[in-house]
Amino acid sequence: MKALGIDVGSLTTKAVILDDDGILASSIVSSGDEAELSAKAALEQTLNQAGLSFDDNLYIISTGVGGKSISFSQQQKALTTCLARGSHYLFPSVRMTIEMGAESSTIIKVNERGRLSDWANQDKCAAGSGIFLQQMAKLMEMSLADMAQLSFKAKSKADISSTCAVFAESEVISHVHRDPPTPREEIVAGIYFSVVSRIMSLCKRVGIEKDVAVTGGVALNSGLVRILEEEIGFGVMVPDIPQIAAALGAALVARENIEKGIK
Amino acid sequence: MTDSPQTNNVELHALDRFREINNAFPKTAQILEHKSQGKQVFGWLCTYVPEEVIHAAGILPVRVTGYSQEMELEDGNAYLYINNCSFSRSCLQMGIRGEYDFLNGVVGGSTCDGARRLFDVWRYYIKTPFHHVLTVPRKYTQRAHDLYYHQVAQFKQHLEEFLGIQITDEQLCQSTEVYNEARALLKSLYDLRKLRNPPITGAETMEVLNASFRMPKELFNSYLRQLLDELAASSRSHKYRARLMVVGSVMNNPEFIKAIEAQEGLVVTDELCTSTRYWSDPVVLDSDKTPLEAISQRYLNNFPCARMVPSDERFNRVIDLARDFKVEGVISQIIRYCVPYAHDLPLLIDRLKAQGIPTLALDVEYGTSGSGQIQTRVQAFLEMLEARR
Amino acid sequence: MIGSEEKKSRIKTIVRACRLIARMSKGRPEVLESHRIYYQMLADYYDRLLNAQEEGEFVAAHTIFFPVEILYAMDIVPMHTELTAWMTALFSGSYADLLSTSAEVGLAPEICSPYRVLTGALAAGCLPRPNVMLWSNLICDNSAKGGEPVMDMSGCSGFFLDCPFQQTDYENRYLKEELEDMIYFLEKQSGRKMNWDKLSDNIAQSDRQIELYRKINELRQTVPSPFPPQDFLKLFTVDCFFAGQPEATNYLETFHQELLETIRDGRGMASPERFRVMSIGMPPVLLLGAIEKVSLEYGAVSVADPFFCNWGEGRLDPQKPLDSVMKKISMHPVMVMYGPLDERLLDMLINCAKQHKIDGTINYAHVGCKQGAATIKIVKDVLNEIDVPMLILDCDIIDTTIAPEEEIREKLRQFFELLEDR
Repeated sequence: MKALGIDVGSLTTKAVILDDDGILASSIVSSGDEAELSAKAALEQTLNQAGLSFDDNLYIISTGVGGKSISFSQQQKALTTCLARGSHYLFPSVRMTIEMGAESSTIIKVNERGRLSDWANQDKCAAGSGIFLQQMAKLMEMSLADMAQLSFKAKSKADISSTCAVFAESEVISHVHRDPPTPREEIVAGIYFSVVSRIMSLCKRVGIEKDVAVTGGVALNSGLVRILEEEIGFGVMVPDIPQIAAALGAALVARENIEKGIK
Repeated sequence: MTDSPQTNNVELHALDRFREINNAFPKTAQILEHKSQGKQVFGWLCTYVPEEVIHAAGILPVRVTGYSQEMELEDGNAYLYINNCSFSRSCLQMGIRGEYDFLNGVVGGSTCDGARRLFDVWRYYIKTPFHHVLTVPRKYTQRAHDLYYHQVAQFKQHLEEFLGIQITDEQLCQSTEVYNEARALLKSLYDLRKLRNPPITGAETMEVLNASFRMPKELFNSYLRQLLDELAASSRSHKYRARLMVVGSVMNNPEFIKAIEAQEGLVVTDELCTSTRYWSDPVVLDSDKTPLEAISQRYLNNFPCARMVPSDERFNRVIDLARDFKVEGVISQIIRYCVPYAHDLPLLIDRLKAQGIPTLALDVEYGTSGSGQIQTRVQAFLEMLEARR
Repeated sequence: MIGSEEKKSRIKTIVRACRLIARMSKGRPEVLESHRIYYQMLADYYDRLLNAQEEGEFVAAHTIFFPVEILYAMDIVPMHTELTAWMTALFSGSYADLLSTSAEVGLAPEICSPYRVLTGALAAGCLPRPNVMLWSNLICDNSAKGGEPVMDMSGCSGFFLDCPFQQTDYENRYLKEELEDMIYFLEKQSGRKMNWDKLSDNIAQSDRQIELYRKINELRQTVPSPFPPQDFLKLFTVDCFFAGQPEATNYLETFHQELLETIRDGRGMASPERFRVMSIGMPPVLLLGAIEKVSLEYGAVSVADPFFCNWGEGRLDPQKPLDSVMKKISMHPVMVMYGPLDERLLDMLINCAKQHKIDGTINYAHVGCKQGAATIKIVKDVLNEIDVPMLILDCDIIDTTIAPEEEIREKLRQFFELLEDR
């Protein structure tokens, strides 16, 4: 049997398939309105890559925001459980993982056996997430990648004090239209700093412990990650494909279940 | 801080010196020097802590306050949780981050939930060598006074044991005189604000008050005397559209008052834990009481906090202040999660209304500087006050 | 705006609902007799309240953890303010209108919701007007400020019972004198005399009741736990409403017997019982059923509610009634939360975790409970030292819009998965 994990997120759906050596294949597709369809699409793409087809020899664990709505998975697991497994597999020394997704961020603590020991969610506020950063990019009329590059040039950060995404937006606008306008790299640094502040608040709730990994789509933003490292006071570990950490974890749970003979 | 564009008022040198201390706080030159001489500094958390007792023990008492602006309070939130007032979280965060590491002791009272939990969490995680909490009754009965006196006496005893000294009646009297002088000088300063043309603004007064509990009282008194001389010699004046009073619990950021005064609403008096509630009543030393009895009586009877019962004691004094200073409108600024003041608010608004004084109720966070939204609402309030005349 | 028929019906709804539950429980073998007794008692309590004015009775509204033994000994009808607010929400399912009325009156949303529901209900005329208001600072600022608005709105007089912060001899004396003053005040206001013999009887009953609370709590240490998780609320409200009354003793003895039978039959609340949970904080009362359901999916049962059920050491002496009232206040489970936060609270939690063989703790962080929330980190760190993980659930005791059911269920699932994974 092959172990497969699917993470149905609000913006993207990720799938990972394992074999004895490790990750056989993985893919990331856009999440549509229906979780079932998105999951199927991710599954198909991954199977194609792996040279397999949809047959009875797959054990699938689903997770993520849409994880419950997948008819063809054997079991559904919480994102936190899967992230713990995935992080530990990628970096056995990791004790805290910061997952920055499209709509929310989750901080987990992992013990030395790769088990989840604590977590904190940011679910009521959008101001710490990928969608917020996308909105900011639109406001600044730049791509996410260009924004990240620009942030490295900043010598200081613009003050964006609002804890609310809506008010933060109006603060950014006022920085842009100020006379003289705040340098763009400083605005970007200020935006990243306000996201990082919210993350730091969550981290402190569970207690910061080295080593720290950063996963989720936002982990690809090198500018933000750099500011996070400045605030946390040490370097963080980012996997090559940070978006698939939870799906990988789900696949690992699948593998465990196969070994234990759990249907 | 620059003066408002409408006036050409002279700079006050004494005020600059207060500003310097406020900007450097908590690690001011005076505090650092005090410590370098091998002396001790204690932080206190509430107006029901009898400062004179600490002073009489030869210790420099300073008030624990939070950041001078609204801040991201990650550590505060982690330790005190998001639903405790931002004042307590702000103070705690500064403590956790070592900004008060010079403190030899911290003293609190069982005054409100925010204050008492600040004290509890501080004691648990920040290992300040000496800590003491006083039970503060909520009534004014003779029995309550006896209980509070007993608490003050126990506090004095605890201090004596900790320091290995005796605090004499004479020392208590001397400290009382120093503190009474500060109160008298602050009263003189406030009396100037009763005038039709007050020479000093509410924001400037806040700066003086902030310094008052952050430096040796003797030095404060001499600076304040200088300030009063400067004011007497000056012909400072401020254009204003209405005479206002700011009420609430803890407030330390003068920028907030400045934002109101920039709209030409002159804040002529205030009812705050960091203003009149701090200095209002003197200790009355007389022959039929010991100094400790006199001190304890003053502290319990002082300008009431919203925690005290009956609430009318506070409301009546607020109304007296409003009358004495010819206040036309009241701005209430209540920190989110400040429970006693929030409960009081509807009743206070009614009482003030009955006196013909309207209230603008603002929800704030500790350290707010009064930006955008607040300014708009203040402007509307001022227009309304003008229209009533 | 609330219609005038609706106004009178809030208490009537409680009475009707309780009577219905009591009636339906009769003769149904699977429903415990104690269940029926409890709802009958509640129905009678509110019935008495509804008819009090007509019957010429004297009604004293009072805040939480108040010594009602004193009121019963003076034949005064008690009206528990916070719990009546809870009950109104619980039985009528509607509280949003009362919350919005309280906002109109000018109360900030950060004030603890039972107080806002109470003020809203009074402002809307939904509650009987008391003859007198008694309040205390026992537990928090909200209860300390809860009295004067009631006095204002009801046009009645009141007495504030000033409960000292610490429990030294001097402070205990102060409290005793406060209680004496309160009795004097009540005698003057009501024209009724304190019946000291009756008070002694009430104290004797309370003493027995506390013994029963302790016994019941001990039975919860059994594996599997025989105790219906939601019934902690019944134990809590029985003390709040009926302390010192023989009906309460009868209820507790019945309940105690039922638990013994459950244990004898080898039955438990969950089969299999996989996780034993300690519950602290103030849970969302309208979601208790949902919480129990999700927990059972994972074989998890709440077996300890220390802040509602763990009474302190000591006995009450009926010969010294006022001293006993004071003693009882100091023994009350919640009182560990009131004084300076120290070893008393932390040791109590650790002992409870060990005695009840706890696998995990759920901390219901009710947004209106500031003083409770300030203990969260300390408690979490202390429990971590004995390797008991703690879930913090942001919620509101009454208002489910703060944390809707789905969010609570999701977080519980994540927590139980964490426990499974260990």
